[in-house]
Amino acid sequence: MASHRQAFWFGVRDLLPLVSGVLPFGLIAGATGVSMGMTPEMIMGMTVLFFAGSAQLAAYSLIQDNAPFIIIVFTVLVINLRFVIYSASFAPLLGPLKKRYRLPLTFMLSDQVYGLCSMPEQQAKSKGERVFYLAGVAISMALSWFISVALGVALGASIPASWSLEFTIPLAFLAMLVTTITNRRLFLVACISALCAIAFQLLPYNIGFIAAVVAGVSCGLLLPNLLQKRVGKHG
Amino acid sequence: MDNLSLWLLFFAAGLGTFLIRLSFIQLHASSAALIERSKPILALLPPGILAALCMPGIVFTRPTNEYQIDPLQILAALVTILIAKYSSSVFWPVVGGMLCLWLLRAYG
Repeated sequence: MASHRQAFWFGVRDLLPLVSGVLPFGLIAGATGVSMGMTPEMIMGMTVLFFAGSAQLAAYSLIQDNAPFIIIVFTVLVINLRFVIYSASFAPLLGPLKKRYRLPLTFMLSDQVYGLCSMPEQQAKSKGERVFYLAGVAISMALSWFISVALGVALGASIPASWSLEFTIPLAFLAMLVTTITNRRLFLVACISALCAIAFQLLPYNIGFIAAVVAGVSCGLLLPNLLQKRVGKHG
Repeated sequence: MDNLSLWLLFFAAGLGTFLIRLSFIQLHASSAALIERSKPILALLPPGILAALCMPGIVFTRPTNEYQIDPLQILAALVTILIAKYSSSVFWPVVGGMLCLWLLRAYG
């Protein structure tokens, strides 16, 4: 049990540096809601129910554009489709848990949880330790997200935009990316996915994200085998 | 949109998002074989997802509704990559990248 408790606190510790990226995003999410004339209760209600920052920002802009109800829900779900991948990745870990642990942990799955919990050093640990580590990351992530949005609501638009604090989000994912690349095949996947994400940037509803991941992973699966076959033929 | 439809919207979107998160986890028992077979794919996902998540934000300035390439952000990202190669934490690469960005903006 001691090692489980330790794994939980390791999760909390590893999440802390990411708060520097979560905080500005949350401040933006809170302040944007205020600027749209929403009450603090509504903004916090939306934040808790969504628990997905980029979908929340997308919903704001669609609400402002007076988009139809169905379109907004559809857009939010498409942006959140990446959680299917996270769900599949964590199914062996969270699936066997009791409902009262499985459902809350599932609700708290996020990009940050996926990033930290899929690092190679975590995957080498025991199942119990990984669950507690995930819980530590997920709970501290949820708390820091809610507090950041609440701060954004309180501060409104008084944070200088010139600090570009939101740039810490892609930088944090980039740093995680570097540590996950441990061989050439993974490097290939990252390069293809990165190029596609840039090229597909203008596609609507965040389709570009899914398309880039699919392209990167398919190339990673197929290209090395194709190249090997060709070398085999020549040799 | 009035407040009631906004609340309905939040509940609908929130419930849908939760069901997406739950999909494979809930099906676990019946999808164990599927997950086992897709292990090679799952292993390739982290770099694919992380690259697609971070690249647009690094290459383009916000708002990202037009292609506006920002060379200073790309330089800052290179610093982050360099530090990340030698440090296993996420904190120092981000600090290094942000310091680089601020310095470049101030003196560049």
